[in-house]
Amino acid sequence: MASEDEVSLLVVVVDVNPIWWGQQAQREPEFTLSKCLDSVMVMGNSHLVMNRTNKLAIIASHCQESHFLYPSKHWKAGDAAGDDAVSSSRDGKYEVLAVTNDQISEEVRNLMARTEVKGHQTDTLLAGSLAKALCSGQEMKSRILVIKAAEDCALQYMNFMNVIFAAQKNSIVIDACVLATDSGLLQQACDITGGLYLKIPQKSALAQYLLWVFLPDANQRSQLVLPPPVHVDYRAACFCHRNLIEIGYVCSVCLSIFCNFSPICTTCETAFKIPLPQMVKPKKKKLKPAT
Amino acid sequence: MAASSEEVLLVVKKVRQKKQDGTLYLMAERIAWGPEGKDRFTVSHLYADIRCQKISPDGKAKIQLQLVLHTGESTTFHFANENSALRDRDAAKDLLQQLLPKFKKKANKELEEKNRMLQEDPVLFQLYKDLVVSQVISAEEFWANRLSMNSVNHSTSNNKQEVGISAAFLADIRPQTDGCNGLRYNLTSDIIESIFRTYPAVKQKYAENVPHNLTEKEFWTRFFQSHYFHRDRISTGLQDLFSECAKQDEKGLKSMVGQGVKNPLVDLQSLEDKALDEGYGTAATPSTSNSNRTVKENSNSAIIKRFNHHSAMVLAAGLHVEVVLQTSGWFSFHDLGDWYFPVGAIEYEDLQQEDGLKTVSLNLKKSDRYSHGPVPIQTQHYTTSQDIINSVILVQHEMANYKPCLTQVMSSTMASSAIVALSPGGVLMQAGTQQAINQMVPSEVQSELKHLYTAAGELLRHFWSCFPVNTPFLEEKVVKMRSNLERFQLTKLHPFQEKVQRQYFSTNLTGHLEEMLQTAYNKFHAWQTRRMMRKT
Repeated sequence: MASEDEVSLLVVVVDVNPIWWGQQAQREPEFTLSKCLDSVMVMGNSHLVMNRTNKLAIIASHCQESHFLYPSKHWKAGDAAGDDAVSSSRDGKYEVLAVTNDQISEEVRNLMARTEVKGHQTDTLLAGSLAKALCSGQEMKSRILVIKAAEDCALQYMNFMNVIFAAQKNSIVIDACVLATDSGLLQQACDITGGLYLKIPQKSALAQYLLWVFLPDANQRSQLVLPPPVHVDYRAACFCHRNLIEIGYVCSVCLSIFCNFSPICTTCETAFKIPLPQMVKPKKKKLKPAT
Repeated sequence: MAASSEEVLLVVKKVRQKKQDGTLYLMAERIAWGPEGKDRFTVSHLYADIRCQKISPDGKAKIQLQLVLHTGESTTFHFANENSALRDRDAAKDLLQQLLPKFKKKANKELEEKNRMLQEDPVLFQLYKDLVVSQVISAEEFWANRLSMNSVNHSTSNNKQEVGISAAFLADIRPQTDGCNGLRYNLTSDIIESIFRTYPAVKQKYAENVPHNLTEKEFWTRFFQSHYFHRDRISTGLQDLFSECAKQDEKGLKSMVGQGVKNPLVDLQSLEDKALDEGYGTAATPSTSNSNRTVKENSNSAIIKRFNHHSAMVLAAGLHVEVVLQTSGWFSFHDLGDWYFPVGAIEYEDLQQEDGLKTVSLNLKKSDRYSHGPVPIQTQHYTTSQDIINSVILVQHEMANYKPCLTQVMSSTMASSAIVALSPGGVLMQAGTQQAINQMVPSEVQSELKHLYTAAGELLRHFWSCFPVNTPFLEEKVVKMRSNLERFQLTKLHPFQEKVQRQYFSTNLTGHLEEMLQTAYNKFHAWQTRRMMRKT
């Protein structure tokens, strides 16, 4: 049993990419960003209730910024005069949960309100959010849960890998709950840090999946029957076509990977001489004497 | 008869073997016996084959010598000369006693080597059992590669360890007063060896004079009496056996001084028994200014010189470096490597010449390639900017009035279908039912499989190393290896596979092994057909 004083932090990184969620609202009106945030809140509340010393942090991963929904910097404790505050405390909820939920909803509203449409920034800043999550979990035992909606962004690869290895070094587990397309980067993250990767078949049941699979922490998971780990594709991509290859050619100077041999490496312009196999000269056939 | 190049060490006439008279010849490498009157040897044994010799006890009437071979056979010689039988037999026995050990070592050494290798490496032992004992390949083939690899390594380790020299060995001699006005010096062989190793000049003198001119006792008496041994060693006027040694020592010291100090911090680590040669210099240079020295100064400097020389000789003997008689090349400073001693204590980088190490710099033309991850470029959803704007506005509208409604997060049907998916047997839990093979198969079977893999790997290595087939030797070997592989498959692989299939379910443990063997067979077949075609 974990000691009562041990603080356990759960950081939930929610992908709130407005472009994806807007399109999602058009595809499936019954599961929108509001429902997603509700599910996350349910899970957050459950985590706080599991143990008195549990802590929660929620980061919204937007395409313009990564923003802490909870704990919020702008909350003022004395702001109980607003209508919202009164209504939430009226239902007899545990006050910590009420405050938490209020903060989250307030921050999300503000975040979405200040969204500016910029055509070239359409990718979720997931690497940055993860980095913030890592920084917030420094002093205590922590784990990160990523709820991913939009597709992977290849440009964030380096930062992503650095974050993953930093998490591994600090024994921080990264779990992933994927709503739409499979994410190779998150599969790697979960594999390397020892977390759980799950692509859920029904988005509407998100809350159930979160509570069943992702609520127990790493120590308790060994005693539960949970979905088995996925097979991770660790193949490298060739630098010329970005195809995933199993066998390729690597330049010994700059370590760039190619799928076909070429005598000059296009990255560092080193020339390579490979000795060709000796050609066996065919023996001249002796003419048989006619008998 | 005997080969003309063979050296005959002893001939004994009138030696009977199997009730026939004849002559016994002891040669450099073998012992042979030929009957009387005939020219050829009927019995001939190499000393290497002889395990031991036996002689009949002294009281017996028949004087015999028996040779027991390694194979277990024995040959008996009866010395029948009336007068000198006993002497003959003893002469033969003595000579054999001297010769046999020399040859014995060579034969046994290989066997010992093989035994040692098998004992040290359990994997090798298992391989040996699998391949040679079950007659898949012959013992010579098995040892063919291995002995050559390891003999080089072990020849160095077989050298005797050299014993170092105590620096105080001379002082340890500690003369005792003899009652009357004499001194007793106790010399052990250790001390004598130390003296010889430290002062090779003395060893030379010993070799020259003992035992022709002086007995050993006299030599050492003179040694201790001579001023060479004494403290001051100034008066070299006396014609002494050892005055030459003194002069050689002076020369040696001067040459050491001339070569300078290479390693002022004595590298004590180099004194271990390693095979490396390390350069070494004397610690401090004694002042050798020749002008204006008083007698006292002279004697002081002489003592100091002798101490330095003594230390240098002791260390040099420990390092196997001839200091006096050779001008061996000293290692240059940088060869010693920076980690032997603190560089900062000895040299200043700024004051040295620049080491022009030419390096090649990495010149990346397209470094952004590295930052792109293994995410294949997929055909992206093409979103028009209008789409983007619409989506964002939609979301903003939605979230502007966001209020969490936690009691209606999901319907119960949704929840139960999710639970079903997550339960064992559900959609998401399929992969877990496949147990890992290593949990289903017991460990003995696993270890047997490992042995099979090692053995198969060894055979396949021999097979594949024959290609390209250039020489007739390789051709033979290829054919032999193919038959070996077949035999291995028959005798080892198939029974194992049958056993596994009988006891455990349809786990295919040997599929990969069979694949490897099949590839080898295919290659052999291809090579064979090509060879046939070339011949026609």
